[in-house]
Amino acid sequence: MDAVLLEHMMNPKNYGVLEHSNAEGIGKNPHNGEKVIIFLSVSNRNNVYVIEDIRFQAIGCMTTVLAGSIITNEARGLDFDRAEALVSTTLGMLDSVPPEEAACSEMVALALQAAMDTYKERQKDSEFPMITYKISQNCTPQGVDINE
Amino acid sequence: MNRLLVQVHEVWLETLMSAFMSNNTATKQTLFDFSEIMFRHFTWIENYCIKNGVSYDYERNMIPLKVDNLDAILHDIIARLNRVELQLVVCDDEALSFRISQDIEYFIYTLKNIPSEPVSAFDMQRTINGIELTEEATDALTLFLFEESYKEYELIMIYNYLKAHSKDIELVRIFQILIDESFFHLKRFGQMMADMGILGVPRTIAKELYVVEDIVEFLKNGINEELLAKEECKRLSDAVSNESKELAKFFDFVNYQENYHIALMKEALEFYNKAADVQ
Repeated sequence: MDAVLLEHMMNPKNYGVLEHSNAEGIGKNPHNGEKVIIFLSVSNRNNVYVIEDIRFQAIGCMTTVLAGSIITNEARGLDFDRAEALVSTTLGMLDSVPPEEAACSEMVALALQAAMDTYKERQKDSEFPMITYKISQNCTPQGVDINE
Repeated sequence: MNRLLVQVHEVWLETLMSAFMSNNTATKQTLFDFSEIMFRHFTWIENYCIKNGVSYDYERNMIPLKVDNLDAILHDIIARLNRVELQLVVCDDEALSFRISQDIEYFIYTLKNIPSEPVSAFDMQRTINGIELTEEATDALTLFLFEESYKEYELIMIYNYLKAHSKDIELVRIFQILIDESFFHLKRFGQMMADMGILGVPRTIAKELYVVEDIVEFLKNGINEELLAKEECKRLSDAVSNESKELAKFFDFVNYQENYHIALMKEALEFYNKAADVQ
């Protein structure tokens, strides 16, 4: 366990609620009720959506918090294209980690994707509810599940 | 009032964490004592909110802890206490407000006179009492301490919420014992984290965890979690027994304590099952 991981455990980055978020999303483990919610503050710069600020909260284990701290730190300041690439990269790496750790990282990545998708939907309908994605064995997002 | 509750919540936790940072027995004891009084302030303000129909929650901000010297964290605690005192104007229970205000005055006076000392609670050395564990055992212990220190904090908050909203004297007795037990565990785990140089504040607890909608399900899950915790303590005891009899004994001790927690939770479960039968 290296110093960077320990630092994320001792002082998780971006943990908590973002008071003035304009998009939120949930990644959920349907098998045990664990979940991650991500709050985004997104700006629209000439139709390029940029994550200006980000927070997350987790009902889950320390590994989920660790994944949340690392992924949200990476996502801050990215535009949606690059943030979606981050989600894909994370999901693509899941086969090489133990299943329980994979589930934690997948939950965070899907919460981020759900929050970005919520934001895009809200450009068409400002009242669009928060999107939830459920994690799956094969690490692919299953259907949209609105405000479950 | 909720803002006052949040502020007291934050200063209580910061003071508790600062006690782990000190290697001076008298300072440590003072900080533990103050944190316990602050927790009581927290429960009294919560009780005021319940009695007066004021909505409240257990939200709080992150609490930055990392310091090199104790006086830095003591100054921060004093600043927070000053903010709490200012916020007391929102409390129209004069007796409560006066009590907290007088306590704060004494806290600040005492904290200002505590000698500073270097803090090693964040140095990430990950050895405990000079014991050299294997890398695998050290990692397992590290994860255990982060998981369990949060879990104990979570349990304190959940049982505190349940107790605050319970009218039955038997349930209040059970929840109080479980709160006290979790405090003891949190203090031991927090001290071990500080000794290993990996001290961190437990993360915030989500509202849907402490506002328990299905208490029977919560207690059943809680009993299962206690059984898993027993197994984890057994695994850790086995993992460290070659390097440290003292640590192994400690994990056996925690393991056996869980039996009583399970018995109490079964007692509470029986109460709620009976109540459901009557309805």
